[in-house]
Amino acid sequence: MEKLLEFNNVKYFYQTKESEVCALNGVNFTVEKESFSSLVGPSGCGKTTILSLTAGLLTPSSGKILLDNKPVEQNDERIGYMFQRDHLFEWRSIWQNIILGLEIKKMKKDEKKLALAEDLLKKYDLYNFKNKKPRQLSGGMRQRVALIRTLVLEPALLLLDEPFSALDFQTRLKVCDDVYEIIKSEKKTALLVTHDISEALSMSDKIIILTKRPAEVKTELELSFPQETPLKKREDKDFGNYFEMIWRNLV
Amino acid sequence: MKKKIVNYSKARRKYLKSLRNNKILIIVLQFTVLLAFLGIWELLAQTEVIDPFFFSSPSRIAVTIVDLFQNGNLLLHMWTSLYETIIGFVLATFIGFVIAIILWWSERLRKVLEPYLIILNSLPKIALGPMIIFWVGSGTGATIVMCILICVIITTISMLNAFISCDNDKILLMKSMHAKKYQILFKLIIPNALPEFATALKINVGMSWVGTIMGEYLSSKAGLGYLINYGSQLLKLDIVMASIVILCLLASGMYFLVSPLEKKYKK
Repeated sequence: MEKLLEFNNVKYFYQTKESEVCALNGVNFTVEKESFSSLVGPSGCGKTTILSLTAGLLTPSSGKILLDNKPVEQNDERIGYMFQRDHLFEWRSIWQNIILGLEIKKMKKDEKKLALAEDLLKKYDLYNFKNKKPRQLSGGMRQRVALIRTLVLEPALLLLDEPFSALDFQTRLKVCDDVYEIIKSEKKTALLVTHDISEALSMSDKIIILTKRPAEVKTELELSFPQETPLKKREDKDFGNYFEMIWRNLV
Repeated sequence: MKKKIVNYSKARRKYLKSLRNNKILIIVLQFTVLLAFLGIWELLAQTEVIDPFFFSSPSRIAVTIVDLFQNGNLLLHMWTSLYETIIGFVLATFIGFVIAIILWWSERLRKVLEPYLIILNSLPKIALGPMIIFWVGSGTGATIVMCILICVIITTISMLNAFISCDNDKILLMKSMHAKKYQILFKLIIPNALPEFATALKINVGMSWVGTIMGEYLSSKAGLGYLINYGSQLLKLDIVMASIVILCLLASGMYFLVSPLEKKYKK
C-alpha cells in the first residue's frame, strides 16, 4: 500500500525552566493511505506530541515528517485534528459548528463544500439537528458532529487524539463504531492516539507501540480481523491474545 | 406560543400547582415585607417614636417627591444623573473591553502592565476627585470621568480574565483549522466570554451609579447626588430621603434592563 505519512528519525526536545526534556528520541513509522493506524504507549510517553508534530503545531528538533512525500508545514492544511472533547461552540448551531472551518478559510460560499457538509449530516443522521444547539445533543452525537466538522475540510490525514475518552463506556463502543464506519466509507486515512488497548485493537489495521519517554517505536503490529466493525472485532477469538501481547509490550 | 392540550396525571397536576402556588407565595411575601416596612416606618414616625425630622417617613417622602416634581426641577436632576450614568457606563464598558482585547492580544504587554492594573484597581478612585476637577472642570464632565475611572479597571480585569481562561484546546482546534489570530478573537474568544461580559455589565450598572453620585458630591449643579448634598446642607432630610428613593428606582430599573442578558448567555 502507498504510504501517506512518514516519520523519519524524528526527535523532539521541549524546554522547561529546569531542563531540556527529550520527548521523542528518533521515532520512525509510516501510515499507509486509507488505513487506520493507532499509537499506543505508556501514559506521558509523547503520543500527543507526535500528533502535534504531524499537525504542524510543533516543529521537530531534528528528523523529517513527510506527508505525501512533502514536508509537513506549520498548521498544515492537509491535516484534520479531532480532540479528546468535541469542543463544539455552544453559541453556534450544529450547522454553524460544522462550517466553522469553512468560515475560517473563507470558503463559506463554496457550493461544493456546503453540499458535502449537508451530505455528511444527512448520511450520519444529524440533518434534523442542524439548527439545534450542541447542548441539545447526546455525547455520541456531539462527537459525530466534531468528526464531520473535520471531514468537511477534506483533510488527507485525520488525527484522533483519544476522541472517545470523555464518553461513558456504552456510548464509547457505539461512537467507535460510528466513527470507524464514517472514516472507512469516506476512504480517509486516520491516526489514532489512545491508551485503551482494546479500542486500538478494534479499530486499527496497524498498531504502533511506543516505549516510555523518551519515546521510540518499540514494535509495530499489523492486524487483519475478518470482522467488519470494531464491536464485532472485539468478539474475535484472537482478540484476547493480541491484547495480551500489546499489554506485555507496554509494561 | 402554541397551547398544548395534554391530559396530565393527578400527581403531575398537583406538582405543577404546588410550583405555581410557591411562586405566587414568594411574590406576595415580597410585597408584604415592603408594605410592612413602610407601614411600621410610617407608624413609628406618626407616633414620634422616631423623630420624623431625622428619619423622615413614607408619607413625607411622597409629599416631597410630588413637591419636587411640581417645582419643575426633579426631572432635570433625574435626567442629569441618568445621562451621566449611562454615558459613563457605556464609555467605561467600551474602553475596558477594548483594553482587555489589546492585553489579550499581546502577552508581553499584559505581563508588563499587570502590576499597574493591580495598583490602579486597589486605588480608591474618589481620591482622584480634586484632580479630576482640575483636569476637566466641575460639572457633568467630572462626574462622567469619575464614573469611567470607577468602572473601567474592573471591566478590563474581568474581561481579560474571561479572555485568557478560554480552553486552550479550543484555541488549538482553531489553529488546526488555520485560523488567524483575529479570527480566533472574533469567532472564539469574544463569543466565549459573553456570559462574563453580561456579568460585567450588571456590575457596571451598580458601579457607574456609585461614580455618578460620588462625582456629583464633589462638584455639580444638578443631579440626584447634588440634591442629596443640597438637602443635607439645608437640613431638609426629606429631600435627601426622596432623592435616595428615586435613585433606588432608577438604579434598579437599569439593572433589570441589563440582567436578562446574563440569563440569556448563561443558559
